[in-house]
Amino acid sequence: MIDYTGSRARRKTAHYLFVLLIWVICLTYFFPILYMFITSLKHETDVVPPKLFFTPTLENYRTVLLSSDIVSHIVNSAIITLSSMVLCIFLGVPTAYAIVFGKLKKPDSLFFWFLSTTLLPPVAVIIPVFLIFKNLHLLDTRWGMIIMYVGANVPIVIWMVRSFLKDIPAELLEAADIDGATRIRSFFKIVLPLARSGIISSALLVFIFVWNEFFFAINLTYVNASPIPVYMASYMTQEGLFWAKLSAISTVTVLPPLILGWISHKSIVRGLMMGAVKG
Amino acid sequence: MSTRDRRKRDPVNAFAIPAVVIVALVTQVPLIVTLILSAIKWIIVRPDLGIRFIGLENYLGVFKDAEFYMVIINTIVLTVVSLAGCTVLGLALALLLNRKFVGINIARTLMIAPFFVMDAVVGIVWKTLMLHPSFGINGMIAGWLHIKPIDFLGNHSMATIIMLVIWQWTPFFVLVLLSGFESISEEILDSARVDGAGIWRTIFQIKIPAIASHIEVAVMLGLIFILKVFGIIYVTTSGGPGISSTNLPYLVYRTGFFRWDVGRATAMAVITVILTLVAVTAFFRFTRRKTSEVES
Repeated sequence: MIDYTGSRARRKTAHYLFVLLIWVICLTYFFPILYMFITSLKHETDVVPPKLFFTPTLENYRTVLLSSDIVSHIVNSAIITLSSMVLCIFLGVPTAYAIVFGKLKKPDSLFFWFLSTTLLPPVAVIIPVFLIFKNLHLLDTRWGMIIMYVGANVPIVIWMVRSFLKDIPAELLEAADIDGATRIRSFFKIVLPLARSGIISSALLVFIFVWNEFFFAINLTYVNASPIPVYMASYMTQEGLFWAKLSAISTVTVLPPLILGWISHKSIVRGLMMGAVKG
Repeated sequence: MSTRDRRKRDPVNAFAIPAVVIVALVTQVPLIVTLILSAIKWIIVRPDLGIRFIGLENYLGVFKDAEFYMVIINTIVLTVVSLAGCTVLGLALALLLNRKFVGINIARTLMIAPFFVMDAVVGIVWKTLMLHPSFGINGMIAGWLHIKPIDFLGNHSMATIIMLVIWQWTPFFVLVLLSGFESISEEILDSARVDGAGIWRTIFQIKIPAIASHIEVAVMLGLIFILKVFGIIYVTTSGGPGISSTNLPYLVYRTGFFRWDVGRATAMAVITVILTLVAVTAFFRFTRRKTSEVES
């Protein structure tokens, strides 16, 4: 006879062992971020060398958030990121609409052209962009950065939103045509609401990409327009040993994309997969 | 009214114009200028040398440079090893996380976090808090074990960069692969169970083949992004010691913005573009062939 109770007990033990293993792995994986946060709560004297037990303090955060220097870089990041995100949506969604429902001669080749630009490594454009920006006085300006980020990220919006639009049956728009609605009106009345989740997840992805971007930022900005990653890289070389403050800035900087990512990772992945499967 | 007229009149077509203009301005125009500059001798910090057309001389100079081959090898090693690591680790972790228990969502949340952390912070946190030989976790563990701490960034720079890239990118693989595993229907798994397939056979012959398209997407996007790794290298090793952790993007950056050798840097950039296209095309061919083999 098979000992059902025994095997069930064994299976249960295995399950709990798995759960334990998962927690150990996930906590270990997350540890650098957790440790960064813990360090940000320490006094500098408790950081180097690291002490296990310490009285937590919010002083580092106060220093960071009261430093007009740091705040101005965070403001730069926020303005550049939000503007780029909004412009990407304003330019990308109508383009996806034109590709799917417009009467373009070759909608697919236009789409693949957009897609191919995402393959272009940033180093392929950086030197001309630097020289052009220098002559147009766009170096170290927020506008310059916004132009770069919109150009680089619009294809992502087009890619993700197109796959959502393809799910909208053409009959729905044809019916609207007969009802006398213009195609521009049906864009606002029918297409936008139906593609909303795709638009939002692509917008969040653009936010995360732009907020975290480093290569263009470090090469095209110096002081005035530089977003927070550039400031952090220079802080690291100049005042590299103030680890508690460094951790506090890092924590503040990492938080916006991290929270957005935690909220939206499922819809982002769904959007990516839809975009990829529908080629 | 001919189709041509109607096509012209459809106002929706005009929707695409602004995006085409800005993408062309930011990607196509500079790329063409890069091609032109790569045929020119122009070192910004040496105005005395002047600017003149030299044809393919920049490319010849690049190809005669032993350093350049080292950097290409570095780039290939960094990309291939990181992608392999991300795929294997990503599959294992996604399989582990593909089960239900109280708190699984929190565990997953912790797991995917590093993907949303910016390169600059990844570099800073690992260089200081984690790997610093005296004051990092590295030094602490070495102290407990009474051994000399490993100088990760000094003696094993490329391996350490690869480790950081894998740490940052595996969560992306987990996200994509996990969504694949979750989309496998229960019926398939049930019938496998009825057929008496063991755990390993279920994993390797049913689950992993079922998410082939997810694996492709993850590797493809990973390939595009890992080829242009820059921020982590900039913050941790600056490509050193020597050129041991320099990849192509970092070499172009150094040539362009430290030596201000515009011609040489743009020639390297063109070679980077060609290598990227070769890698992506090769990957496409490989996956298409495999798909058609499965179908036939």
